[in-house]
Amino acid sequence: MKNRLEALRKARGIRQEELAAALEVSRQTIGSLENGRYNPSILLAFKIARYFGLAIEDIFIYEEGTS
Amino acid sequence: MKKTSIRWPLAVALLGCALFAAGGIGRMAFDLELPAYVLLAAGCALFGGGLGDVLRRLALRSDPQLAKEVAIEEGDERNVSIANAAKAKAFDAMLLVYPPLLLVLALAGVEILPLLLVAAAYLFTVGVSIYWQARYRREG
Repeated sequence: MKNRLEALRKARGIRQEELAAALEVSRQTIGSLENGRYNPSILLAFKIARYFGLAIEDIFIYEEGTS
Repeated sequence: MKKTSIRWPLAVALLGCALFAAGGIGRMAFDLELPAYVLLAAGCALFGGGLGDVLRRLALRSDPQLAKEVAIEEGDERNVSIANAAKAKAFDAMLLVYPPLLLVLALAGVEILPLLLVAAAYLFTVGVSIYWQARYRREG
């Protein structure tokens, strides 16, 4: 699933390690999220959205046919 | 919060030492073979596992930041998902390995009791899988 996570993170000057610590996930998970190799659970998606103060749809881009 | 008490791992390590000593005494003083080696092996396994857990808990207790990082890594949803997917693949492999193993053992003329034990272990594992599938379906 495509997302704007990397762009949002860099726009705020946050490193992957800092974002991972804030969300209580591993840095590798942040990396996998950013390059679309891993889709977050609904709980993690809500945490990410709340962290950036945005809606989930503003961060994760759902396209028909994506798994 | 992860457990930090070393009481139970230490008890396991001491039990391992006791089993190891019993195995050594049995081998040297009473010239036992199989029971002594079983005790030696069990003692080594328990001692190693218990001591490893003791050292791990002491290290985490002395460094709360490290403890938090370890807790994050162990609870990370992607790591958990990967571990569960790997376990599922291993289970599928086990389903493929057990039947030919039983056949080979039977053709090799192994006694009936070990064959039945292997078959029981296979059925137990499949039964556990069926049980947890039913339970997870019922729960959600």
